[in-house]
Amino acid sequence: MSPKPKAAPAAKPGSTSDILAAIRAQGAKGGASGAPPETATAKPAATPKAAPAAKPGSTSDILAAIRAGKGGAAAPTASAESPAVKSDVGPAAAKASGGVKPSVEEMLKAVRGDTASAAVAIAAPVVPVKPTLPPIPVKPVAAKDKKSAGTDRRSFVAACLSPMAIGFGSMAATSLIWLLDLARFMFPNVLVEPPTKFKIGPPSDYPLGGVSTKWLAARGVWIVHTDQYKGRNLIYALASVCTHLGCTPNWLEGEQKYKCPCHGSGFYINGVNFEGPAPRPLERVGIKLASDGQLEVDKSVKFQEEMGQWEDSNSFVEGTLA
Amino acid sequence: MNSLSQITSCLILGSTDPHPNVTPSVLFGLGWLYLILFAMNVVWTWRSFHKARHFRLPEFMGGMDIPNAALWSIYSIALLLVSVTHLTCASVPEALRWFVMPDFAKAAVDSVVADARIYFAVTTGAFIAMLALRDWLAKPNVGWGILNLSLLFLCVSLTDWDFRQIVGKPDNVPIVAMLFIVGYFTWLYFYRANQNDRRAAEGKVPAEAENNEKVLTWPDLVYTEMICMIAITALLILWGIALQAPLEEPASAVKTPNPSKAPWYFLGLQEMLVYYDPWLAGVVFPSVIIGGMMAIPYIDFNKLGNGYYTFNERKFAITTFMFGFLPLWVGMIILGTFLRGPNWNIFGIYEFWDVHKLEALNNVNLSEYFWLYGLGQPLPIAPADSSFVVKSGYILLREAPGFIAIGAYLGAMPMVLAMSVFKTFFLRMGFLRYMVFSNLVLMMAALPIKMVLRWAVNLKYFIAIPEWFFNV
Repeated sequence: MSPKPKAAPAAKPGSTSDILAAIRAQGAKGGASGAPPETATAKPAATPKAAPAAKPGSTSDILAAIRAGKGGAAAPTASAESPAVKSDVGPAAAKASGGVKPSVEEMLKAVRGDTASAAVAIAAPVVPVKPTLPPIPVKPVAAKDKKSAGTDRRSFVAACLSPMAIGFGSMAATSLIWLLDLARFMFPNVLVEPPTKFKIGPPSDYPLGGVSTKWLAARGVWIVHTDQYKGRNLIYALASVCTHLGCTPNWLEGEQKYKCPCHGSGFYINGVNFEGPAPRPLERVGIKLASDGQLEVDKSVKFQEEMGQWEDSNSFVEGTLA
Repeated sequence: MNSLSQITSCLILGSTDPHPNVTPSVLFGLGWLYLILFAMNVVWTWRSFHKARHFRLPEFMGGMDIPNAALWSIYSIALLLVSVTHLTCASVPEALRWFVMPDFAKAAVDSVVADARIYFAVTTGAFIAMLALRDWLAKPNVGWGILNLSLLFLCVSLTDWDFRQIVGKPDNVPIVAMLFIVGYFTWLYFYRANQNDRRAAEGKVPAEAENNEKVLTWPDLVYTEMICMIAITALLILWGIALQAPLEEPASAVKTPNPSKAPWYFLGLQEMLVYYDPWLAGVVFPSVIIGGMMAIPYIDFNKLGNGYYTFNERKFAITTFMFGFLPLWVGMIILGTFLRGPNWNIFGIYEFWDVHKLEALNNVNLSEYFWLYGLGQPLPIAPADSSFVVKSGYILLREAPGFIAIGAYLGAMPMVLAMSVFKTFFLRMGFLRYMVFSNLVLMMAALPIKMVLRWAVNLKYFIAIPEWFFNV
């Protein structure tokens, strides 16, 4: 067995026990102060590495130093057969003695020295013993059918009272209360909004063929007086909300159409959609002639043409009144 | 350009045009732009000189070899002369009339881009040409030439007042930058992919696999990230100083700005909303886009192209993705940003944003086409006081053509495709995966199909049931 291949793994002290053994070995070497001459000859080569105080370059240096120390004394730690192989002192010693390679026997003799027996005494407990494997556990017999034991009902009650069920149950209850609270926001106690019913003056303010934008900014309605819807002369109020996505269209007097700036939907003067993506006509809101002769708009009600609601008499006022 | 400089320019030019195309400040700024272009091309000439590539003149011109650097240097010198002319003669616009976009060219460009049909045909054609000519386009000199052409186009177009209003709007400046960035990365993709495709043809491994030098997270990656972070921060600070945030009047529920535009990255969705109902374009299609992208790894059976650039090994996947991204998504962003004006009408890039521009857009539903024009009879309408069931029956009868069309498109079309163009896909994927895949592809194709039908025959909705808020 040549020392070289075994020296390579020694360069990497794999486990803690390796390192501990090395340190212990160094202690043993320190104890064996009366170094034999063979060890002394090996020393000079190892000195640069074995002087941690002088130059502790890296972990590998330190380890090498420790190992070098071990080489003197604790080589037998690993096994009795090749005690020197874990040490790099062997080749180093060979270099130090003028380049002539010593035989394995010589190297062994050099590193073993006189302290071998002492080191063996210390290192002996390190030799591992192969543990005996525990017996393979026997597969447990499947649990008995609970139904036959008559515990069905009790287990259901127990499941309902389990911490998991209680936890999820209370979370669900809290979420439900939270949702109900949220729903309550839909019905505020006070609405800070202009009243949905408002008067817009007498019908004579709205001549035939005109769209009034007077109430657009404040109330969001156009007052339309036209005979363009089914030939009837009507006054009605159109909500200024595009039926596509709710932008506010512009009334273009020159083109006689409402045109939405968001996606280009267009509506005729009577509110019926004809271009762009809007799927249905603008919505009418309620309008009626109040007792004082003024028109009154009621924004709380909507009338959709496609639902046939424009026939509702609350959605328009006869234009002949104007 | 601020109003003060406008007034000054009016005084200097002796004109009272409130929308002057050419002003001294514009010409002076263009001088700087040309100077930057010159500097860029000096660098390119230097690179070209060191590459020492030649090209051969045709026989009738002597047939001799000319170094590329010679051409680039001539071009650079021309740019320098143009720049100096602009910087020195900015106050004499007549002297620079050769560098101003001529009116006939403006009209020609406007007639192309302001017509959605031509615009879409041109972008789709450009996309196909890009794929067909990828070997040639991916050459560095060609890429550089295209960059120069687009920058020159920008420079010359900036002499138009309306163009400046659109491109120079603080909102839109980053979108102009984005176009160049998208162009660069598309070019880079083809450059790398061509390289690897050539290597594959020679039987070599991809460049990425050959030069597979692993680097460390620290410091290589973290340093790069930190430098990017600093550069982006600096850019954002400069941007924040140079381009003022476009603040508008306080929001009002009854006043919508005209035109009202979504953030630029949603302009594709806004454009989709013009053609499809809100619940489709705003809810279903975006979900399908996201869900479809998540489904790609499960649909894709092509194991090639993993971790390296390639085109030939993933032709279908890359073409489909690029079509969805470039002509549809980026193309729609360009359409929404630069071409959509007041009342969401389409305007040319040199066209004045006239609020009263009239575009005839009388839209017709498929049911109206079928009953009114096809059969020459009125739409089936339920008697006034019929029950809900009878009314529903009439509505379904009225919209039957649309239901049949959609059913055929999403139900029968996959079968037809499976027997023809997607035959291998069907065999490789199996029924379920193939149906998911083909429906995703068909839904993607539904957008351009609807757009073209809207532009060509004013088709509004395939299925139009406003009574139930159901329109397709």
